[in-house]
Amino acid sequence: MSKISRRTFFEGTGAGIVAGAVPLRGQQAPAPAPRNTIQITVNGVAHKLEVEDRWTLVEVLRDHLGLTGSKIGCDRGECGACTVLLDGKSVYSCSQLAVWMNGRSIETVEGLSANGRLDPLQEAFIQHDGPQCGFCTSGQLMSAKALLHRNSHPTAEEVRAGMTGNICRCSNYNRYVESVLAAAGTLSADAGGRKA
Amino acid sequence: MSTLNSVGHPTSRIDAVKRVTGTATYTGDLRLEGMLYARVLRSPHPHARIRRVDLSKAQSLPGVKAILTRENCDIVWGSGDTRNKRYLFNNPVRFVGDAVAAVAAIDRHTAEEATRLIEVEYEPLPFVLEPEDALKSDAPEIQPGGNLSPNNQGKREPEVYRRGNIDEGLRAADHVFEEQYSSAHINNAQLEPRVAIAQWQGGRLTVYASTQGISNCHTEIARDLGLKPEQVRVVCQFMGGGFGNKNQCHDFDLMAAMLAKQAGAPVKLEFTRKEDFIAVHGRWPTKQYYKIGVRNDGTLTAIQLRGYSGMGPYRKGAGGIGGIEIYQCAHVERAVHPVYTNKAVSANLRGPDYPQGVFGLESLIDDIAYKLQMDPVEFRLKNMTRKFLDQTPYTSIGLEDCLRRGAEAFEWKKRWNPAPGSAPGPLKRGAGMGMGSFVSSLGRSSAVIDLDSQGMYHVHVGVTDVGTAAKTTMALIAAESLGVPLERINIIWGDTDRCPYSVGESGSRTTTHTGYAVMEAAKDLKKQLAEKGMPKGTDMLTATANTNPTIPGVARYSFVAHFAEVEVDTDLGHVRVTKYVAAHDSGRVVNPLTATSQVKGGATMGIGMALHEELLYDRASGQPLTAGYYGARVMTHRDTPEIEVVWVETEEPYGPYGAKTLGEPTIIPSVAAVANAIYNAIGKRVKDLPITRDKILGVLA
Repeated sequence: MSKISRRTFFEGTGAGIVAGAVPLRGQQAPAPAPRNTIQITVNGVAHKLEVEDRWTLVEVLRDHLGLTGSKIGCDRGECGACTVLLDGKSVYSCSQLAVWMNGRSIETVEGLSANGRLDPLQEAFIQHDGPQCGFCTSGQLMSAKALLHRNSHPTAEEVRAGMTGNICRCSNYNRYVESVLAAAGTLSADAGGRKA
Repeated sequence: MSTLNSVGHPTSRIDAVKRVTGTATYTGDLRLEGMLYARVLRSPHPHARIRRVDLSKAQSLPGVKAILTRENCDIVWGSGDTRNKRYLFNNPVRFVGDAVAAVAAIDRHTAEEATRLIEVEYEPLPFVLEPEDALKSDAPEIQPGGNLSPNNQGKREPEVYRRGNIDEGLRAADHVFEEQYSSAHINNAQLEPRVAIAQWQGGRLTVYASTQGISNCHTEIARDLGLKPEQVRVVCQFMGGGFGNKNQCHDFDLMAAMLAKQAGAPVKLEFTRKEDFIAVHGRWPTKQYYKIGVRNDGTLTAIQLRGYSGMGPYRKGAGGIGGIEIYQCAHVERAVHPVYTNKAVSANLRGPDYPQGVFGLESLIDDIAYKLQMDPVEFRLKNMTRKFLDQTPYTSIGLEDCLRRGAEAFEWKKRWNPAPGSAPGPLKRGAGMGMGSFVSSLGRSSAVIDLDSQGMYHVHVGVTDVGTAAKTTMALIAAESLGVPLERINIIWGDTDRCPYSVGESGSRTTTHTGYAVMEAAKDLKKQLAEKGMPKGTDMLTATANTNPTIPGVARYSFVAHFAEVEVDTDLGHVRVTKYVAAHDSGRVVNPLTATSQVKGGATMGIGMALHEELLYDRASGQPLTAGYYGARVMTHRDTPEIEVVWVETEEPYGPYGAKTLGEPTIIPSVAAVANAIYNAIGKRVKDLPITRDKILGVLA
């Protein structure tokens, strides 16, 4: 590692921007972090990947497979924006290390619609105005999908319980419940139905 | 009210498919060629002088490409403080979370590791957390000149509003009530954490921002970096919420730009969730001292408020305590002191001045109604505002209908208990309500509409759509004004290279400001079309509107009344909201589907503010303790009752098709409604937000 010296780094883009500078040069390639090879199936497609031990599943999905539908809202297992299905069950993909995924099957929001046809949940989310800002929506959809896997005709209370790990700060919870009930065919007038 | 073709019909969002398929591209989803990742090092002290920063270890870490500190970056973040010079990196640091350095590296793990390798020598300074303590003569000085932040005239005095003579009003009263309330610092907690990607191409800077206002962001980045406006482009295609804390250019936009400059590569700067809670801003905490005079017949004679708002160490927000506008009263005096403290910075969160102010005011009004043995709804009907500040006529006012129709839908008479707390328990039910108003301004914005030869109307508007369905609203207004089906409208948004100036999506102004510009541009285009006929080939007809309507001599406001029923477990202190009705006068509702969602969301957020949320600090160390979703206990699916929405569509003569403001009124009276319902259930009043289980058990003990 060569000694670092100070020099003016910035060219004049206007007064007041820069005083000194911290040049960084002569660096070696980054020290390799421990890596492992994993084989995973994502939305039906098999992938062989070399992953760093510290990478989470959501990082691999977003940064290495380009599947950015799963969002990072908190990166600490609180909000649910990164929810995916792992062998059919909903998990927070920020709280799963990629190296644990060897041989596992993952479904993300990108896999919900098949052959250009939206999933009934997606249709219901559109019709009943599920997403406001939409940042939590992928996670809400995947939690709903997992819920309907295990309970195809949930009540409103069961939907709330099944999706309570998915925070929506726009707080559009009524609409999400209504959407899931509509997709399940269990929407009744008094269970989240639109009054307006 | 006349029926229209597009406006007023429930319409799914025009971008809904993208939002449900994971294909909506939010800023953090972008990855540019050669992009670096950045992290920020923050002060662990509430107040400290930085003696020395040693970067050598961080610089030697392979993969580190740029580091900014105060030493090499003395940019002033203009929007970060309206009174003092706030640098991107400040010395002294003034709260836990004040930025000390920013690092860009080849990946986020390396950047994070590098921040840990930066050695900082701090000299801790005395700190103060509560506004009233900060005003004591022996309090540590947070900003030069004292801890009372200067008012709008630049004087070290509180912000004062007066009408009549408060002493006269109090003398005219048969009863004078005095009470104090407090509200907490809570975080906006939008799901999308802060992120910015900056890229320099030649001398031109592109910032992919997560912003509520690309136009403001653009102007302010250029101003703060000393660039010409044409050297800056701001892009924000999808936006994961902000609720007021992404209104302007933020420090992370500027840091990303400067890191990218230093590294010679695009930089993505991401905040962690914890940073979002402690280092951005939330709602200002308040202390409120009310004195209210009333006659035996229930007529208000005087309202006095002395308030203190904790602004954190920088004056980013106004710090107001609103609500008194909703009452007719001859003698009013309000003095609010915005005070510097060593807690997280406070600024806008949905209806900035109001939910906390209305909580205090409506709590005391409720007490007064009980004392006079009046129904709280009747008391409000008697004393509600008729003219703005008893002086200026409203363009339209549906407050009385909000109260009457809301009460009816809620079944107020059935649910409200005239003898609070008298139920046997342990589960006790009660009903409460509150009301509010919010300015529905008209003002400057622009729109451009291009008509092509295929008959598509390309509407350019500088909105980002923060979740309000702004794009859909603009499309509905365009379709209505042009007299064409919605399918012929193509909205072009979120890019300062492609969109004209738009007011930011703050102050609930997009429909009324930018929607008005769309309407005017459409009028012009129709006129051109009649004169010139359809364009041919690659020709376009283009209409531009730069509008800034004014309506002198009148006040334009939205009105709202919320009703809540709660069930309180008097053994456990647990509160469950069991029925909720929100009645809104926002003039004509442009899109009843998405507008209803907004009301449901705002009311629910208010319930969380009433019952759960607070960024707590350890008094001894000045450390924030409850950063994050679990700590804040934001509302979840299970906490949320069904919110029933009642629309009071007044005939409003101004604005696009008579639409008034909606986004922020939705939260204004919700906190008060829940608080008053708890009182009605248990017969005891909690005067400090949030109304947590321990406080309920405390007043019951």
